[in-house]
Amino acid sequence: MPIPLIGFLLVAPALAIVLLLFIVPLISSITGAFDVGGTFGFGNFIKSFELYSSDMVFTLVIVLLSSALIGLFSIMIGGYLTLGSNPTAVSILRWVYRWPLFIPFIVVGQVLRTFLAKNGLMNNIFIEAGIMTPMAAMSFLDWRGIVTAFVWKQTPFVTLLLAGAMASIDRSTIEAARNLGAKRIRILIEIVLPQVRQTLLVGLILSFVTMMSVLSVPLMINAQSPTMITANMAFRINAHGDYGVANALGLISLLMTSVAAIIYLRQTMREHAR
Amino acid sequence: MSVQLDWKWIPRGIGLGILAFIIFGPLVNLLLWAVAERWYFPHVLPLKYGFSFWTSVFSPRGNAMGSLATSVLIAVLTVVVSLGLAIPAGYALARLKLPFRGLILLALLIPQAFPNLPVYVNIARIFYQYGLNGTIFGVVLVHVTHGLVYAVWIATAAFSAIDRELEEAARSMGASALRGFWDVTLPIAAPGLLASAIFVFLESLDEFTGTYFVGAPDVTTLPLLLYTASSGGNYQIASITALILLVPSIAFMFVVEKFLRSDVLSKVGH
Amino acid sequence: MKAKFIAATLATGLFCTPLAAAEITVLTAGDQNMVDYVNEYLGPLFEKENPGAKVRVVGTGPGDAGSQKILERFEAQSKAGVAKWDADVAVVHEKFVGPMVEQKFLDSYRSKIPSGSMVTRENAKMALGTNVDGYVMPMFNSQTALAYNPALVPNPPKSYDELVEFVKKNPKQFGYNGIKGGASGVSFVMGWIYAYGGGDAQKLMNGPFEEGQEKNWDKAFASLKEFSRNATMTPGNAGTLDMLSRGEIAIGPVWVDMFYSWKAKGQLPPEMKLVLPSPGMPGQPMHYVIPAKSPNADLAQKFVALATSPKVQAEGIVKRFNWYPGIDAQHVQANLDKETWQQLFTDISPEELAKYGKPFPIAPYNKAILEAYERQVSN
Repeated sequence: MPIPLIGFLLVAPALAIVLLLFIVPLISSITGAFDVGGTFGFGNFIKSFELYSSDMVFTLVIVLLSSALIGLFSIMIGGYLTLGSNPTAVSILRWVYRWPLFIPFIVVGQVLRTFLAKNGLMNNIFIEAGIMTPMAAMSFLDWRGIVTAFVWKQTPFVTLLLAGAMASIDRSTIEAARNLGAKRIRILIEIVLPQVRQTLLVGLILSFVTMMSVLSVPLMINAQSPTMITANMAFRINAHGDYGVANALGLISLLMTSVAAIIYLRQTMREHAR
Repeated sequence: MSVQLDWKWIPRGIGLGILAFIIFGPLVNLLLWAVAERWYFPHVLPLKYGFSFWTSVFSPRGNAMGSLATSVLIAVLTVVVSLGLAIPAGYALARLKLPFRGLILLALLIPQAFPNLPVYVNIARIFYQYGLNGTIFGVVLVHVTHGLVYAVWIATAAFSAIDRELEEAARSMGASALRGFWDVTLPIAAPGLLASAIFVFLESLDEFTGTYFVGAPDVTTLPLLLYTASSGGNYQIASITALILLVPSIAFMFVVEKFLRSDVLSKVGH
Repeated sequence: MKAKFIAATLATGLFCTPLAAAEITVLTAGDQNMVDYVNEYLGPLFEKENPGAKVRVVGTGPGDAGSQKILERFEAQSKAGVAKWDADVAVVHEKFVGPMVEQKFLDSYRSKIPSGSMVTRENAKMALGTNVDGYVMPMFNSQTALAYNPALVPNPPKSYDELVEFVKKNPKQFGYNGIKGGASGVSFVMGWIYAYGGGDAQKLMNGPFEEGQEKNWDKAFASLKEFSRNATMTPGNAGTLDMLSRGEIAIGPVWVDMFYSWKAKGQLPPEMKLVLPSPGMPGQPMHYVIPAKSPNADLAQKFVALATSPKVQAEGIVKRFNWYPGIDAQHVQANLDKETWQQLFTDISPEELAKYGKPFPIAPYNKAILEAYERQVSN
């Protein structure tokens, strides 16, 4: 059997499930996006841009910023887990960082809403501890709240992947560099990161995609203008029964994530071809 | 020696302390709401603690334990099916020369990338047509469609990170292709695969919209209750439900780690 | 033991077809307390009166999103051509009844149950401009009003005009949830248009719909935009109550039913009060509906008959929740002591309710107002 055929057979079952159970139902959503009163047209997209262009930019900025922070924090945590010299500190860190992973998004929205509010638990703790005066208390329930929620929930996800990948790289080069007196931060950037780059990117892309499609966090933390695309989709459907614009927004969101995914894929393609 | 150690613990302690505050601060909120009977301004902490909301969650008609068992069963089946599909697919995508490789990976991403809200009506319709509605199998299929992206993408990354020469060495020693895969490639890729198992498990355990459209009313899971309570602002019920859901999540993680440490990591060195 | 349990769950899940006529399924939009209401009160009562019958309930979530999910479920089954649907009774918001009737998803059952004749209110016949007479029985009527903390607002604004003054003097003390986070904010906006919309508010409520009304609202929206600068924006219906409970805002529009539930759960200070400002804010009923393809139509009718009987409306809706009953007041009042009945009107008197409790605008105006808000206020 030729190799591409074997490959295709191995991929086929997974692909079939996604095609039959998601992409087929999606087709009528996609055609619905171009359906304006029964005829083909771009009316839904025009309306989407008229009403929600600032929300699209907002969404993209929020998700990109969150992804960058997630990447940074997961490298820091993963790096310390791999290169940390004190076993006690490493095991404390390993025990601490994971918890948000187990909290569903909707609960993340709920706990952060009551935590980050002006009179929420965080400010109250600071005030009780004397770090802050009641007058200085402010609410973080705007774009900062959304970013916090995303970073809080998704950093452990990427870290878990990254730490796993870091743990399985060859220790000998690290030890060699260490014996030559290289600083840990340099080892992390120059030796460890290049070897786990692909895992990091996969983790970030998956986070990016997840964040783009989460509804409960923007709804519970900040559903005002500007807000995220998913909140507008929910609004179009629930308040107007308007699937046309909702589908158009979904398609725009899909295009945004596809661009991110394609950039990544092109890069791995090049590596794959080697 | 000990003096030096103490000195180094200062930045370490501060760093870990800040991290712990960030991680556990919001979780303390969750714990407090789970036992709060009355809590409002200007009181910094709950006015009255109690377990009356626990009784209502665990009331016999609420069937919380039954829903929990169903949720866990669905999550485990979802992991098994997803990994069963993802391991061959990931291997092929990482190792074999496939046409349209990028397109296939992209297609698998779509269930996560298109916000699902307007699609569920169509999904439900298809499931009704095939008589899959109200069955555990139907719910597992819906969760698998969403879990596959994690499983396949991570499996692909895990397999492509492995040095090809290792496998070729095994084959040159006379092992069959399948044997080489089983003895050499799979164990090395295992940490990544198991991490993806955790994500698929959690994804399934947190999902409610798909479960409502495809499973309810015959199949009810705990997140359905969680969703209603949390989005209605019923913090007590939502917090309690979230705490209950923590148990299987952490147990699953524990099992996976145990398996990882004893079995797989020992093989990696060889 | 465990394996056996799993096997049993699996078996029921995989092979269970809906049981014979003994089990009815109730889908309910709304908060967790709607699910609890059926589970703890209505279900056991019904099972006692109909031996052998079982009630199971599925909550679909609060707000419009919850009702939308029920509508979508009906749509999916209708398009798939399912002969017997998997729901017998549904509880949905007023707004979603119209589309359900228009798409012929529902059974006209009101004349078949005894309590059917005990409903004479207009909103049981028309739902936002669609004739739904016969297809619905109101479970309860709800109303939006301004909730306030008397400690922070000793003299609450009694009208929209006074509220505008209040907000000028006390910036950020008033909070509402815009239009994307649930209907309490929507209701506040509708009330604003009734008050300052320039046109005839009656026409917005009763029709007929005319294109081009939007221009009349420009001034109202401009002033609302100005007003909103000094208001706090809250995340959702529950978000307004949430901020009230933490004292971050002092006054804001809420659903009266949610307000009482939050109080009962200990999430709001007991001193909190309500005021219904003139010229009025909208309210709406939650309706019981029965799908035309319900597998147990007889039992379903019995269930709704029980749920809307004077006794249950008195004990379940008024006494338990402090909600306004669905059927006409005189039938319910007879079943209650005076004190419990009066409790309904602690903050808002029956006269005020009659005068300032408005319906929502008919569906096409509703959409036009929301869209105009999006273009002119939030953009």
